[in-house]
Amino acid sequence: MRRAIFAVLVTAVGLILLLSFKPHSLTSGDEPLSAVAGPDPGSSDSSGDSSGSSGSSGGSSGDSSGGSSGGSSGGSSGGAKSMGGNAVKGDAVDTVWGPVQVQITLSGKKITKVLVLQAPDGNRRDQEINDRALPILNQEALAAQSAQIDSVSGATYTSEGYIQSLQSALDKA
Amino acid sequence: MKGLSPIAVLVAIGAGAVAVLGLWWSNTPVVAGPADWITGAGRITGLLAGYAITVLLALMARVPALERGVGSDRLARWHSMGGRYVVGLAVAHTLLIIWGYAVADGDNVISETVTLNLTYPDVLKASAAVLLLVGIGVISARAIRPKLRYETWFHLHFYTYLAAWLAFGHVLSDGAEFVGDRLASLAWYALYIAVALLLLWYRFLTPIRRAVRHRFVVSRVVAEGPGVVSVHIAGRRLDRLDIQPGQFFRWRFLTRDLWWSANPYSLSAAPRRGELRITVKDLGDHSRSLARLRPGTRVIAEGPYGSFTAERRRRRRVLLIAAGVGITPLRALFESIPAEPGDLTLLYRARGTRDLLFRAELENISARRGARLLYSVGPRSVVGDAFSPRTLSDLVPHLRDHDVYVCGPADMTGRVIPALLVAGVPGRRIHHESFEF
Repeated sequence: MRRAIFAVLVTAVGLILLLSFKPHSLTSGDEPLSAVAGPDPGSSDSSGDSSGSSGSSGGSSGDSSGGSSGGSSGGSSGGAKSMGGNAVKGDAVDTVWGPVQVQITLSGKKITKVLVLQAPDGNRRDQEINDRALPILNQEALAAQSAQIDSVSGATYTSEGYIQSLQSALDKA
Repeated sequence: MKGLSPIAVLVAIGAGAVAVLGLWWSNTPVVAGPADWITGAGRITGLLAGYAITVLLALMARVPALERGVGSDRLARWHSMGGRYVVGLAVAHTLLIIWGYAVADGDNVISETVTLNLTYPDVLKASAAVLLLVGIGVISARAIRPKLRYETWFHLHFYTYLAAWLAFGHVLSDGAEFVGDRLASLAWYALYIAVALLLLWYRFLTPIRRAVRHRFVVSRVVAEGPGVVSVHIAGRRLDRLDIQPGQFFRWRFLTRDLWWSANPYSLSAAPRRGELRITVKDLGDHSRSLARLRPGTRVIAEGPYGSFTAERRRRRRVLLIAAGVGITPLRALFESIPAEPGDLTLLYRARGTRDLLFRAELENISARRGARLLYSVGPRSVVGDAFSPRTLSDLVPHLRDHDVYVCGPADMTGRVIPALLVAGVPGRRIHHESFEF
């Protein structure tokens, strides 16, 4: 019996120690969140292709390979037309579970639609989280008409990535 | 062949556990918020449970290097301690994952349990596995175990194979550590396949090969005392088996009611003239029906197992302490362990004179080898405690300078070993083997 209590205690303490050695917030430590294609000119070239984001200065969008298809480099602020609005892609934002990227459709200054191009889907759990969190985030974004929206609890990383990508899209628009 | 030392085996097991924790460590970037803490604890316990179940199975795979080096009885003790721990880990994993996911989703645990089982791949099978493990844990609990027949308990244990197999899938298809990590998945496969091969080879194929090679058959059954019989088993080429006195085999007698169970019995004599001998006391259905074995009955013998042999001895002087039917392996050692006249003592405790087994043989050996033979017979209330530190020191001069081999029922070894320690025999020179399984 004493041995059993000992085993339980050692296991519990070990678990707590292991977990406590990990960083505990999204901002501390070595930046779990970072924009892949930020304004930093040094990195935007190399990362732009792989993540599928369009360059910040602009023009090309329309597919995820960086605007190489058919030479469809459009207008100055997000070219592809869709359903009577301007579609603007946000940056692909790397989260710890994978990149998040949204595309917004604008009608004048109004956000009429948010499309999620990428979200973490490495495993079943990620998909669960997406299925639940993304519709909420989309609703919030449409209601707020800005990136000033709340994170969805239990989907913190995805939310943060979503908000950053949304903000970058709004900045470009 | 020497076998692996217990320390080396423990170090290897520990290193494996550290590697498994490393897998979690390298795949977990952040632990943020209560849900992450709970889920993180769930992942770690789950990984450890998945690893530890392979260790438990490997310990019981009858690998000769383990059986020799660590000893079957110690392996069984490790296995039973580890078994409780694995059941605890698996249950903790299940509850923590449900709880952690429920917190993250803002859902209640009941509907989270349903979601997990119905929508995540292989989780339903894993739930069945954890229920099986809990069931096996329950029947092995101290309160329940004595109420079951050895055979029932033993065969229910085979469901651990099923549990390990059922749980295997969800680790790879849902485990964040394995999805998208080829190397980790391959390592996990390799671990399980290696253990499966060990089990297949040593537990299933080796006994069959041995049976074919040695053609064991019962040659005669001899009554030794009240409720005690010796079974002589003849076989070909016994010298190829490399048997050491003190070891045991797991015996499977191919009769209609005995063929399905393999029970461990020690050899009660060094092999001679193409014959092995076991001596069995009537302790249950199986040992009782051995008395009715007919000569000519075919036998499958797994073994030899056990490290309760002369290999463990370090000093010149040797004391053997037996109680009841625990005399069997010590009878074999008394006959054969190398010792000069005067250096070997056997202390043999029995309830009554009628219960003393092998009296003629023991006295014969004693006279031939110049070995001391001491009996302690009668109820303890009458003859006193033969195993007090004081009595032992008085009976055996230079007690501290002996290697001591102890074999008997658990309550007897539980009294003798502390008494020997008090009397000054260092623990590393006390060798024991218990009947518990």
